[in-house]
Parts: sequence; structure tokens; C-alpha cells
Amino acid sequence: MQCPEPNARTLPSAWTSLDGGNVMHEAHEALETYKKKDVNKVVVRFKAVGNAPIMKQNFYKITASNRFQAVIQFLRKELGWKQGDPLFTYINLAFSPAPDDTVANLFKSFSTDGHLIVNYSTTAAWG
Amino acid sequence: MSSYAPRHSPSAFSTPASTTLFRRLTWEGTVPLEIRVDPNELPANSDRGLECYYIQAPRVSYLPLLVPEIKRFLQDVVFDETAARTMKEEEWWFESDGGGLLKWHWPIGLIYDNHAISQSVRPTTAASFFAPLRIVLHLASPPTEKLLMSPSAEACKQAFMGQLKEADFIRWGNTKRMTGLRKAEQDGLWEGIKEHNFDEYWRVASKITPTTTPTRSHSPPPPPTSTSLHTRPPSADPGSTAAPDRDGASNVRNIPARIYLPDGPVLQDLVPPVLEDGSMHTLGAFLTAHLPLLFPDPHSKKPNLAYALIQGVPAPPDTEMAWLGACMAGADGWVNICVGLLREGARYP
Repeated sequence: MQCPEPNARTLPSAWTSLDGGNVMHEAHEALETYKKKDVNKVVVRFKAVGNAPIMKQNFYKITASNRFQAVIQFLRKELGWKQGDPLFTYINLAFSPAPDDTVANLFKSFSTDGHLIVNYSTTAAWG
Repeated sequence: MSSYAPRHSPSAFSTPASTTLFRRLTWEGTVPLEIRVDPNELPANSDRGLECYYIQAPRVSYLPLLVPEIKRFLQDVVFDETAARTMKEEEWWFESDGGGLLKWHWPIGLIYDNHAISQSVRPTTAASFFAPLRIVLHLASPPTEKLLMSPSAEACKQAFMGQLKEADFIRWGNTKRMTGLRKAEQDGLWEGIKEHNFDEYWRVASKITPTTTPTRSHSPPPPPTSTSLHTRPPSADPGSTAAPDRDGASNVRNIPARIYLPDGPVLQDLVPPVLEDGSMHTLGAFLTAHLPLLFPDPHSKKPNLAYALIQGVPAPPDTEMAWLGACMAGADGWVNICVGLLREGARYP
């Protein structure tokens, strides 16, 4: 059930591209540039909340292109948490980010004094 | 940059009535889905001619909320009694036709638009805005690691609440508006989505979403009649007494917005409503700042190589970000900007 005319719907003329040989190629190259992973590292600072065990070292440099899920997994490992042990993670004591958001994105929006502060708790805290 | 005539209206900031209109249009937006059970997983004795389920799903809804409906369909029409009895929907997961995992916690409209832009980079495929998105339903062995969360409506609700709070934090620098809601109100937001009930959702959402009342400092002066329009329609705002300025869309610190590129990545950054020179931050300026190779500076006279879809709508570059945040955000508070590539030699009249 494909529509016979691709992109039959009109786009506003403001978005209109010019005809030309290399436009699509240029666009693809642009996309490749934006796909490159951010290899910079950012400082993540873990802070325990409530009864959660405190970490001896709580500053870590983490590659910015990592997803937040990787941060959670790292934290679980550091705490020696087994699968199924409850762990709730928050940014700035305020919210749980989506696990597929990147550390880079979170750092840009929520860092404090050059750190991304990740709070962790064994019970739902700001749920 | 824009071929549109300059705006003669006092500001893009609309009257409350049009705010409600755009919120309703966003809310009522639906996308066509074709959900097909993986043929290799169909239980014996299934009625094979009928294993496809078609639905026009709300953009603001989520895949886990469709599960009960799909389950009823499979039980009633496709499976035999034994298969229907042993069906375990907690093991279900969805894939796009091309094989990409579909995220439980992404709004369905975002899944659809994200698929549309990913088609824009594959010139051989006949992409269409109107064709149903083909989804493969798997009945067992969910790849939990990749799905990132358990495939349940409850987990989806928690993720939704997390997104609302993150949006709240981005707008105001804290989550007081969200945490100030009573439990019943927070649940009401989710119920509103589950029931696809605009009034139920906005009864609460209006307490956390910025208003679009014209502001004094940044926009050109409001029309003389605007003061009489300050009262928003009851369906959008029952009895809020907050000062309009404090909650105004251009008084937020930042607008919760993410840019989705074909096949990733997703970009998120702080999006102030007003730029340093005092002008309103527009979609075009935002895209040029983050993706200059696709959206060159308008002064360079180079053409754009891509376009932006918001809630399935190709949005004009001069759309104000603050307005988008107040009127075109998803139910989770986020403005999702899906960037697709313009086709070679394509003409868009």
C-alpha cells in the first residue's frame, strides 16, 4: 500500500532544495559528519541518596557518546549490584532521563560546574 | 530564507483560541500503522489470511498502550483457542519492517516521523507520508538489553513521567511544577493519553505548559485587543491564576527540544526562547546553529539540503521555538524535530 507518488505532499517553498548534481551527495556527507561519535570525555559525579551505599570514588570520566544506559550499567557494576537489585538514577535530584539519551546531551543541558551529577537510590525518590 | 511574506501580525504568539486549536490539532494527529505478526512465530492453526492489524494510532500515544487492542484482535480473529489462552503479551516486542527495534518509550508519532526521515536517505525506496508504517510484532524473546526497559504500560508511564520532569527542568530550572501536582493529577496526564482524552490531559497539562500570551519585552507589542483575550478557553485551562508573564512561552529558560537525524543521532541542547540580540529564536536559526551543513546560514544564499518535520508537519524555518514549545510539543512536553533529506532534483511547489 505505497503511495504512488513519493513525497506527494508539498513542502513549503522555504525548504525547497535547488536542482543540481551533487546536492544529495553533499547532504549525505553532512549526515556522516553529524553521525561521528563525540569522543570527548565528561566528568560524571555520582551521589548516593537515602540508604544507597556511598562510593569511595565518585568522579568518573565517561565518553560523551555513551548512552545513559551505559552509565547505569557502570554504576551497577561499581556497586556490585546483582541483576534485579533495585537502583534508581536521577539527574540533579530531579528526574530520570531516558536510558537512550547520550551523556553528551545530558551534559550540555544539565551539567553543574563542569560535572554531570547523577544521584542514585535504592528506592524511587522523585518518581 | 523564507519565501513567506513578512509577518504583519504583532507576533507569532497567537491568541489563546489558536493556542488551543494547535494543541488540539497536535493531540488529534494520528498515524496509520500496519501491525503484522512475524509469520515465523504465528502459532499453529492461526488464520493466516488475517494476521495483519491496521490501526490509525494517536501520535501522542505509545506502543504498549496498543497492546490490549492488538491482543483482542489476535484472540478473536487470528489465533485458535489454545494459542489465545497461552499468549504472553509481556513478551511482545515490535520491529520496523526494515528490522529496527521500535522503542517502547517513544511516542508513536515520533516513531512514525523518525521512520519517514530514515526513508528520505534511501532514494530507492518509495517513501510516502501516507503509507502505513509497517511494524512486525514478535510474540516471544524480547531483546530486553536493546529495548532498555520492560515492555509494560507501567514502565512506559514511568518513562513518560521522567520525560515530563526533564522538560519541566529545562523550562524552569526546577521540577516544582511537576512535583507540585497531586498524585491524582499526575495520573490524570497518563490517563488522558490512555483514553486519548484532550480535556483530561490538558486539565493538568495547562499547569505545567507555558502560555502563549503575548509578552511585553521580546515580541512586538500585542494588539490592543489582546488583554480581553487573556482568558484561555476552559478546556485548556480551568481556573489557573498564575500570572501570564511568569508562565509565558518566551519567559521559559529553554524549550525542551530534540533534533532527530535519519538513522540517528539525536541531538539535544539548551534552546533559549530569545537570542542574544533580543530576537525570537526560530527553528531556522536553531537548525543552522546545530546543522550548518544541512541548513546553511541564510546569508550564504546556499540552499537547505534538508527539511524539518514536527508532528508530521514540515515546519517553516521562521517558526518561533517558544511557540513550538507551547503549541506543538508532544504530550511529554518535548518538541521533536525530525530532519529528512530533500530528494535530488525534487520540486516542492
